[in-house]
Amino acid sequence: MPKFWENLRRHLQKEKLMSVSNFLLMGITFLLLGIFIDVVVISQTALRYLEDQAQITIFFKDDFGEDKILPLKANIGNDARVASVTYVSKEEALRIFKEINKDEPVLLESISASILPASLEVKAKNIGNLDKLTNEYKSQEGVEEVRFYKDVVSRFASTSRAVYIVGFILVVSFFLISYSVIISALRTSINARGKELEIMKLVGASDSYVRDPFMYEGVFFSMVSAAAASGVIILLGVGIDRWGIFSKGLAIGFIPGFFINPIIFNTILAFILLLSGFLLGYFGSKTAIKKYLKY
Amino acid sequence: MHQIEFLKVSKEYIPGIKVLDGVSFNVNSGEFVFIVGPSGAGKSTIVCLLIGEERPTDGEIKFNGESVSDIPHEEVPDLRRKIGVVFQDYKLLDSKTVYDNVAVALEVVGTNKEEIKNIIPNILSLVGLTNQKDYFPSQLSGGEKQRVAIARALAHEPDVLVADEATGMIDPDSSDGVVEILEKINSLGTTVIMATHDERIVDSLKKRVIRIEEGKITSDQEGGKYRV
Repeated sequence: MPKFWENLRRHLQKEKLMSVSNFLLMGITFLLLGIFIDVVVISQTALRYLEDQAQITIFFKDDFGEDKILPLKANIGNDARVASVTYVSKEEALRIFKEINKDEPVLLESISASILPASLEVKAKNIGNLDKLTNEYKSQEGVEEVRFYKDVVSRFASTSRAVYIVGFILVVSFFLISYSVIISALRTSINARGKELEIMKLVGASDSYVRDPFMYEGVFFSMVSAAAASGVIILLGVGIDRWGIFSKGLAIGFIPGFFINPIIFNTILAFILLLSGFLLGYFGSKTAIKKYLKY
Repeated sequence: MHQIEFLKVSKEYIPGIKVLDGVSFNVNSGEFVFIVGPSGAGKSTIVCLLIGEERPTDGEIKFNGESVSDIPHEEVPDLRRKIGVVFQDYKLLDSKTVYDNVAVALEVVGTNKEEIKNIIPNILSLVGLTNQKDYFPSQLSGGEKQRVAIARALAHEPDVLVADEATGMIDPDSSDGVVEILEKINSLGTTVIMATHDERIVDSLKKRVIRIEEGKITSDQEGGKYRV
């Protein structure tokens, strides 16, 4: 191992500019990789939060009393397509209205519970059912109006899907970029020592003797770059946590209902980047040296 | 048992064009053999096949009774520790001293520094380079460079030393010095195979001469001359 450090020191000294540019290029690639994963997760989380809001609000006519609304609430609640249903009475509506408009006393003076409609707030298990449910509720007796946030939700859903697809493509692209950066960086290094490698093989060096220093070098370059990017990603996690917009944490797309603290998520992401750094360094250098091991 | 056996060996780099065509010969332990012939006759191909750098298209090559025609990749380094090789262009590392150039051969097999310190002075003394051990290749003459290459090839105490046009880039006086060292090494029991087209050297030594032309052996004479 000390020989490895000695070789590395010599290489860094000899190829200062190239080493710095390789570190920067790989570091930025890993950082962008981490940021895009974060962007994908944040957009998925935002969608979850949006889906979690009341999606359909059924407003009732004034003459449709609580005695009729509550049995209807029970009926809706029993529907397998519905996740939850909440009754908002006229008084509750007034309280909410007052809360929202507490800074406008003039407006509040003219409002009483009697002019606000009672309502039911319905959350569907699947936002794909919103249209169907809305139509069903519209035809119910005593219903004044049915509102649902179809446009907002579906628009955000398609944006989020686009972010997911673009993010995925970018993540794969960045992996490929990192891979080729490692290969080309090592190929340059190997080419510079081509004669030495040829002589080593002629005098009986084993594959591992020729290959290992380059493998160490590739893994070292890649992991140091990944470590630097990981540090920034952890700080980004702290930033998202302090931002405080996601009270429950970040949603992990493939585990429904699972939320995780942004710092923990980004720390895990940092470890994934480190692992990626190791794997990319390992396989990249293995590929780079392969053709030089032909006897 | 012969030390080296070439049994109807053919080699094609491009399909249909035979560089070697059914070549057969044996070399016994301790022999000094010249392989002669014009450029492109196939001399260097024989060297490459012997050290496992190339595989024969047809036929079989045996070393110490074992086939090396299809030697597994991982066994090639071991073969190269038994067959030392010297090339026309020396293949020295310009950034390393004479001592370090020879040490490379020992370092790659994991010999520790203390052992290397004990081994190298003996080898450098054998090739007459004791005083030049701290010189860089750029400070040496062609003959001296070739002697460094020989010293490196001897580091593993190989059974066979193969010299491929070893005197091709050096003046006649230096060539004589190199051949003298090869004879000395041969007298110590190492088999020496020298591929060359240096008529003067071949004729002066009166050793076994295998002549190869257009990929075929045209003569194989004990105490032979360059021209048949």
